[in-house]
Amino acid sequence: MLLLLMLGARYAERIAAVALVLGAGIAVAILAGVWQSGAPLVTYLGGWAPPLGIALRADGLSAVMVATTVIVIGAIALYAGRAFSVPDGQDETRAPLVFWTLLMGVWGALNAVWLGNDLFNFYVALELLTFGAVPLVSLDGSAGTLAAALRYLLFALVGSALYLLGVALFYGAYGTLDIGLLAGLVRAEPVIFVAAGLMIAGLVAKTALFPLHLWLPPAHAGAPAAASALLSALVVKGSFFLIVRLWFDVMPGLPSMAAAQVLGALGAAAIVFGSVLALRQARLKLMIAYSTVAQIGYLFFLFPLATGQVWNGIAWTGGMLQLVAHAFAKAAMFMAAGLIGEALGHDRIANLGGIGRAMPMTVFAFGLGGMSLMGLPPSGGFLAKAMLLTAAIGEGQWWWAVVILSGGLLAAGYVFRVIAPAMATQAAPLALRAAVSRRREGVVLVLAICALLLGFLPLRPSPLLEIGRPGVAALAR
Amino acid sequence: MTGLLLGAALGVPLAMLVASLSPDLRARLPSLLVFAPVPALLAALLASGDTLALPQALLSIRLALDVPSAMLLGVAALLWIAGGQYAAAWLRGRPGGNRFVVWWLLTLTGSLGVFMAADLVSFYLLFSLVSLAAYGLIADDGSARSQRAALIYVGLAVLGEAFLLMAFVLLAQDAAGNTLLIRDVVAALPTSHARDAIMALLMLGFGVKIGLVPLHVWMPLSYRAAPIPAAAVMSGAAVKAGIIGLIRFLPLGAASPGWGGALVVAGLLGAYYGVGVGVTQSNPKTVLAYSSVSQMGLLAAVFGMGLAAGDPGVALVAAFYAAHHILVKGTLFLSVGIIQASGRRRLWLLLVPTAILALSLAGLPFTGGALAKIAVKTPLGSGLIGALATLSAAGSTLLMVHFLRRVIRTAIRPGGDIAAARFVLPWLAATVAAVAVPWALYVVLGIGSVAYALSPAALWGATWPIALGLALAAALARWETRLPQVPPGDVIALTGGAGRLASAASLWMEQVDATLRRWPVAGVSLLTLAVVLAVAMLAGHW
Repeated sequence: MLLLLMLGARYAERIAAVALVLGAGIAVAILAGVWQSGAPLVTYLGGWAPPLGIALRADGLSAVMVATTVIVIGAIALYAGRAFSVPDGQDETRAPLVFWTLLMGVWGALNAVWLGNDLFNFYVALELLTFGAVPLVSLDGSAGTLAAALRYLLFALVGSALYLLGVALFYGAYGTLDIGLLAGLVRAEPVIFVAAGLMIAGLVAKTALFPLHLWLPPAHAGAPAAASALLSALVVKGSFFLIVRLWFDVMPGLPSMAAAQVLGALGAAAIVFGSVLALRQARLKLMIAYSTVAQIGYLFFLFPLATGQVWNGIAWTGGMLQLVAHAFAKAAMFMAAGLIGEALGHDRIANLGGIGRAMPMTVFAFGLGGMSLMGLPPSGGFLAKAMLLTAAIGEGQWWWAVVILSGGLLAAGYVFRVIAPAMATQAAPLALRAAVSRRREGVVLVLAICALLLGFLPLRPSPLLEIGRPGVAALAR
Repeated sequence: MTGLLLGAALGVPLAMLVASLSPDLRARLPSLLVFAPVPALLAALLASGDTLALPQALLSIRLALDVPSAMLLGVAALLWIAGGQYAAAWLRGRPGGNRFVVWWLLTLTGSLGVFMAADLVSFYLLFSLVSLAAYGLIADDGSARSQRAALIYVGLAVLGEAFLLMAFVLLAQDAAGNTLLIRDVVAALPTSHARDAIMALLMLGFGVKIGLVPLHVWMPLSYRAAPIPAAAVMSGAAVKAGIIGLIRFLPLGAASPGWGGALVVAGLLGAYYGVGVGVTQSNPKTVLAYSSVSQMGLLAAVFGMGLAAGDPGVALVAAFYAAHHILVKGTLFLSVGIIQASGRRRLWLLLVPTAILALSLAGLPFTGGALAKIAVKTPLGSGLIGALATLSAAGSTLLMVHFLRRVIRTAIRPGGDIAAARFVLPWLAATVAAVAVPWALYVVLGIGSVAYALSPAALWGATWPIALGLALAAALARWETRLPQVPPGDVIALTGGAGRLASAASLWMEQVDATLRRWPVAGVSLLTLAVVLAVAMLAGHW
């Protein structure tokens, strides 16, 4: 990233490409390392072990997230390449440099979240993530997107402040912030619950869980398509991931079922409200943004479903699969919407008639992404929903099952609201304002196919996710 | 070895789908459509009783054929072959044919595959495929009417999928061990603690597919909107995904009078309702759709009787009845197509076979329909249910005469002669199959005795309901103008109120959303959440 600033935008794309290739190699190495050893990989920065030093730790969850991130960021880079490159012989402009710098910054911050093992490091990563993500919203500099970005910034900062407050309480109580050490120290004390309440509320605000989603629709809908994809697919997952770490790793066994049900209920409300609001949107990108509000809701079912016992493999696998499948599907859908918007000059759903004939590949990719959101087989979304349903029934919490299935129906509604007019015949063939790049269409399609291929995983708990989970090893014995 | 044929039955249409990616091959695909179902036909003939287990990388799919499913698979493959030939003729020179071919192949793969699926995952996958891919066939012409029909169809289909997914999750939960084989999970169903929920969900899920009243509303709209070859394969073959579902998932071996009775009532209601609404329709395709509602209702009643009595033998006779319906209903839709493309001259050449097929649905003596009625006679019994089922044949006659009168009016081709040979030949082949194949199955599979089928008692039993139906038809012809006009899709028109309610609710939710997204409200929510979470966690330890 530093190198990028020095060399300027002309080389930005190339530097990012090199970094991504290296990053992909590292992601594969982490995945292979965790899988082969069956144990988490741990690195002490500077050779100092906690509590003196800082540890980076990759367990099964981290490995999956690192790999997902590099695929999505790589696709975004390929997609954005043309739009954010500096043509030869022209002066550099602000947008390309900022875009590439922030893309790399967000990527680094996300990896710090996936691999971090220390509550303060998480705070730093969170801030990095926020400061990387906020300017991406207002990349075009218009008044509307600036307002959206400010709204996002303010709310994210409030969230960070709450998180930091909680971190301070933890430090005051136990004198360390390393997750591994804290897990052994925490006891059921009021101060810990106050701290956890503050931190989780702050993180929920950054994840845009209903009813704290005020910033998400304008921000995600206003950003350029490549940035929207990044924000919806990955950035909101960063803070969700931290809630998971806090809930299950920092204070294993402490959070009560009542608190888990609160989060689950908010998730259910998010699914219902997000989907219905998505149905009512007139603009394609706003619709996709509201769909993100809904899809985030499913993630929070992990808490009521996995809190009750030491290791609920099916709930974990379903929850993580929902996270990864949504990342692929939503990135593909936002980028498809971006291509449609560029080709037509607008993204009003009512005027999309005939787009299916003009841009079949893009609409196909959009449809595949939508299939995953609806939970139709074969797709990652289907498998995720089937597993969450199984977990809900297994835990005797059938009410979540009802919400999961209704959410699928509503998703079918908003996806077909786009697909149906897109497939309709028009009297006159649609005139596109700009030719569509085949390469960019291809990138979108590849991402959508990734979401589809996830559906071919076996329908049972994944052993990869068990690696490094506290308590699972004891259970296996 | 023959197990590989099962794989080929899925693999060949999928390979053709992949081929459609290449522009060169794409141009040839319409003429090759006729070959896509051939491996399935061979599998049905040669591989009955075989199993094919695919490796884990392919979802551990298990394909298997027993006698009922092989019969349905083979007959459905025959209809897909005839339909494919007709579609190739229809597609000639039409723009946008590539999309039609892709949807066709997708629907075909699901339709044939679902008969072979032996595990929960592949069944759900293929069932969804045949259900959802048909969307593209219905919406093919892109008109507003087709769009509406396709949306109503897909909405109900997705609803049905949701019911089934829930049922399958509950089934898998209760099965002993880590099995996902349908046979194993259904064996555990009668003793499951969630038995009633599962049965209700299965009936709703498959009820949507077979058009059980009042879940039938998509049928008349879809068949009217779909092009002729698509309507033929949908009404004939694709709908039978619901029938194989009932065969596979209903615990027919364990008597369940309550659920069996419910299915009988719903089925017989549909059998008469389809006739009642069908005679008010003027479009021959819509009339045929209501006839499907009626026929599938009768078949549901057969399943219900089998379930109530705990008679697993009902699977075979129901499959036979369904096999007959596949060929006859599919061919009748092709009839609509060729009669529309014909003039009055020599029209009787088309009308006579069409009339025979139409009355075959009512059990005309010497046709496959008479054999189908004989096959289901035993499970329906000789009591009230049996009598109502027999009387419904009179209703079918009435409806089919109405269909014939309506379809004749569409023959207005200038020049007056019958349609081109490339349309008539696939229809002719399908007609011959619709008459001959039920007889062959009846004899080879030993569904019943030929001597009984040709006995005076059986012939009389088949004849009097038709005579009654003809009398009713004559009465109807006289009083027809007094009938109320029922819009196709009937009760869907009544859902306007529910639609207004839903839109009011969503408007209210939009206002709530706008309120929640105001700064002060969001700030309060955030702090409240922090307090609630802290208190909830504290409360867990006190």
